[in-house]
Amino acid sequence: MKCFERRAMLGLAASITIASVGLLPDLAAAQDYPTKPVTMLVGYGAGGQTDLVARGAARVLAEQLGQPVNVVNKPGAGGAVAARELTQAAPDGYTILFHSNSVVNSAPFIMDQVNFTPDDFDYAGMITAYQTGLVAHVDAPFDDLKGFIAWAKENPNFAYAALSPEARMYMDTLAEANGLEPNAVPVQSGGEMITALLGKQVIAAFSGGIHYRYPDELKTISATTTFRHPSAPDVASIEEDGYPIGMDTRTTLFLPKGTPREVLERISHALSAAADDADFKKVTDGANIPIMYMNLDEARAEIEATYAKHKGILTDGS
Amino acid sequence: MEYLILAIGDVFGGTTLLWVAVGVTLGYVLGAIPGLGKAIGVAVSIPLTFYLEPVSALGLLIGIAKGSAAGSAVSAILLNTPGEPSSAPTAFDGYPLARQGKAQKALKMGLFASVIGDFVSTITLILLAAPLARYALLIGPVELCAILVFSLVFIGGLSGNSLTKGLIAACFGIFFATVGLETETFVPRLTFGYLELEDGISLVPMAIGMLAVAEMIVQAGNLDTLDRETAELRDSSDPRDRRVTREEWRRCAPVIARGTFIGAAIGILPGLGASVGSFLSYGETRRVSATPEKYGTGMIEGVAAAESADNAVVPSSLIPLFALGIPGSVIAAILIAAFILHGLTPGPLMFQQQPRMVAGLYVSMLCASAILLVIGLLGQRLFSQIVHVPLRLVIPGVLLFCCVGSYMETGSIFSIFIMLGFALIGFVARKLDFSFVTFLIGFVIGPKLELSFRQSLQLLKHDASNLLGHPIALVFLFAALVFVVMSGRSSVTRRVQMPPTTQQH
Repeated sequence: MKCFERRAMLGLAASITIASVGLLPDLAAAQDYPTKPVTMLVGYGAGGQTDLVARGAARVLAEQLGQPVNVVNKPGAGGAVAARELTQAAPDGYTILFHSNSVVNSAPFIMDQVNFTPDDFDYAGMITAYQTGLVAHVDAPFDDLKGFIAWAKENPNFAYAALSPEARMYMDTLAEANGLEPNAVPVQSGGEMITALLGKQVIAAFSGGIHYRYPDELKTISATTTFRHPSAPDVASIEEDGYPIGMDTRTTLFLPKGTPREVLERISHALSAAADDADFKKVTDGANIPIMYMNLDEARAEIEATYAKHKGILTDGS
Repeated sequence: MEYLILAIGDVFGGTTLLWVAVGVTLGYVLGAIPGLGKAIGVAVSIPLTFYLEPVSALGLLIGIAKGSAAGSAVSAILLNTPGEPSSAPTAFDGYPLARQGKAQKALKMGLFASVIGDFVSTITLILLAAPLARYALLIGPVELCAILVFSLVFIGGLSGNSLTKGLIAACFGIFFATVGLETETFVPRLTFGYLELEDGISLVPMAIGMLAVAEMIVQAGNLDTLDRETAELRDSSDPRDRRVTREEWRRCAPVIARGTFIGAAIGILPGLGASVGSFLSYGETRRVSATPEKYGTGMIEGVAAAESADNAVVPSSLIPLFALGIPGSVIAAILIAAFILHGLTPGPLMFQQQPRMVAGLYVSMLCASAILLVIGLLGQRLFSQIVHVPLRLVIPGVLLFCCVGSYMETGSIFSIFIMLGFALIGFVARKLDFSFVTFLIGFVIGPKLELSFRQSLQLLKHDASNLLGHPIALVFLFAALVFVVMSGRSSVTRRVQMPPTTQQH
C-alpha cells in the first residue's frame, strides 16, 4: 500500500511539475492580464463617430484594466485593413480592435477582397448600435415607409442619396417590390449626405445615424434595423413594415482568434463598465449613439446570426 | 454683444489664450517642416481635447489649422517643398525670391497675406455665418460641377512653360485619382488586390512624395551648384529686400483682396477645399497680370495670391459647421467630434444654447490671427537661417520628416511606399519639365468633378434641359465658356504680333 501511495504521490508530483512547466506560464499570463499597455486599433480615421466612441471606451477600459489603452487609427477599406492587421497580431489581448461589426457581417458580401468569417476573430463584447435608417427632410410630404412608397410611385425618377452598397440594396428591394424608379445619387461622406438632404437636392437618403443631430430639419422615415431606434421610438422598423431586410451593426471589440477565455472575460467585464460610465454616456448621448452592451457570448451569437442573415440579404439582393 | 464682452474676459482670464497660442505655434512649426502638417498636429491634439475646456480644445484645433496653413509657406519658399498641396503655388515665386537673397521679403509677404486673409475671413465667419450658410446650401452637386469646370479654366496659369505638358500632367493626375472604389457601383478600380488602395491613393503621402521628396532628390543632384550658391548667398544688404516695400504693398493689396475673397468663397462651399482656393487665386492673378510671363521667376504677387487664399479658406470652411452643423473640411469634421465630446451640438442651436461659448470661440479665433502674426515673425527669423545650411545636412532631415509625415496619416508602411512611388514620378516630371502642380490639380479636382458630374446626371434625370432650373450653374458654365474663348483669342493675337522665332507660352 505504501508503495502504491508513494507511486501515486510521485505521479501526482510529476503531473504537477509537467502542468506547471507546460501550462502555468500561459495561465498565469492570462490571469495577470494586463501587465503592459494595450493597443486599441480603430479602423476609421481620427475624429469620426466611431473613433469618438472608441476613445470614450478606451478611457473606461484603461480605468478598469489598470493599464493605458492606446488608440491607434488604421483607416482603410472600411476597417478591413485594420481587421486584417488584427488577424496577424498575437492572441494575448494586448492588441484589440474597436470597430463596427459590419467589417465581418456585411463587408465580405460587398467587397471582393474581404472574406472574413465570424470564426476569424474572438469577441469581447459589443457596446453601441448604429441607428441606420431611411431619412428625409421634415418638409417631405410623407412620414412613414408606406407614405414614402405611395409618394415614390407618383414621382418616378426621384433622387435619393446612397452612401454605401447597403443603401442601394435597401432601395432596390423597395423599388422591386413596389415598381418604383429611383435615381441613386452617390455621396462619399455623411456630411455630403446631410448637405444634399438639407439643400433638398435629394428627397431621401440612407443615414448611418448622423441625421439625429438635425432634429429640426430631418426626420426618420424607417429604421433599417431589426429594432426601433431609441432616438425615434415612434418610427417603425423596416421589418415591421413587412420587409425582412433590417441589418444591425454594432461597435464591437475584436480580438485575434485564440485569445484565452480569461482575457476575453476580463475585457468584456471592463467594457460592461462603459455602459454605466457617466463620461462615456455624455459622449454617446452627444452623438445620439445608443449604448446596447452585449457580453462576449452574446456578441459571438449576434455576429454569427447577423453574418448568416446579411449573407442571405446581400448576396440574393444584388 | 454682452456675451462678447464676457467672452473676452473668459478668453483672456483663463488658460484659453495659452492653448490657442500652443495650437498656432504647433501648427506653424509642423507646417514649416516639409513632410509634416496639420494631420500630425490634429492626431497629437485629439487625445488632449478630452481633457480641455471646450473653448480651449476648439481653440487649440483651430489654432493648428490656421498655423499650419500659414507655416506651409515657409518650406515652400525656403526649400521649394510645399508643406501642403495648397501651398504649391507659393513655391512658384517664393523659391526664386529666396534664391535671389530675398527670402525675408517673400516670407514676410506670405505671412502678411496669410494673416490678412485669415483675419478677414474670420470676420466674415462671425458676421455672416448664418445667412451665408443658408445660401451655400443652394450650391448643390449641379452648381458644384459647374464651378469646378469654371476653375479648370484657370489651370493654364499654373501649367508652367508648356501648356501641352501641363495638360498631360493634369491627365496623369486624374488617372491616378481613379484608383480605388468607384463611387456609384463600388467596383474597385486599379487596386491590384491591395486593400490599402480601396480608398484610393491618399493625398498626403502622394503630395509629400511628389512635392518634397522629389524636390530633395533633384536638389541632391545639383548639390555642388546649390551649395556654392548657398555659400555666396547673403541676405541682400539692401534693407528693401528684407521687408515689403510700400510699392509692393500697393501692388499686392488688390491681389490679397482677391485671394481673400476667392479663399473665403471656396471655403464656404462644402467639399472644395484649400487647394482649389490657392490654385484658383494664383491662376487668376497671373491671368489678369500685365506681365504673366514673369510669374515663376520671383513675383511677390504670386506669393501673396496663393497664401491669402490658402489661409482665408480655413475660417470660412467653418461657416457651414457653425451655421448648419455640416463639416466643410477635414478640420471641421474633427471639430464636430470635439464639440460632441463636450456635449455640444454644432449647428444653429449652438447660438441660442451656448452664446457665451460661441462668443468665446470667436474671440479665440481672432486672437489666433494676431498670435499667428507674432509667431510667424518670430519663427521666420529662425527658419530663414535654413537657406544658409548646406544641403547635405538639410536633405536627410527633410527625408526623415517626409517618412514620418506619410506614415502618420494612415499608420501604415504602405503610405511610405506610395510616397516613394510618387517621388519617382515627381523626379521624372521635374527632369522632363512637366508641371507637377497641374498633376496635383488633376488629382484633387478630377475625382470631385467626376463625382459631381455623376450626381448631376442623376439629379437632372439625364436630361440637359433640366439645367435651366439651375441658374447658378448656367452662369458659371457660361463664364467658363467666355474665358476660354477670350483667352483663345488673345493668344492668337499675341501669336500674330510676336516674331515667329519666339517660344510660345
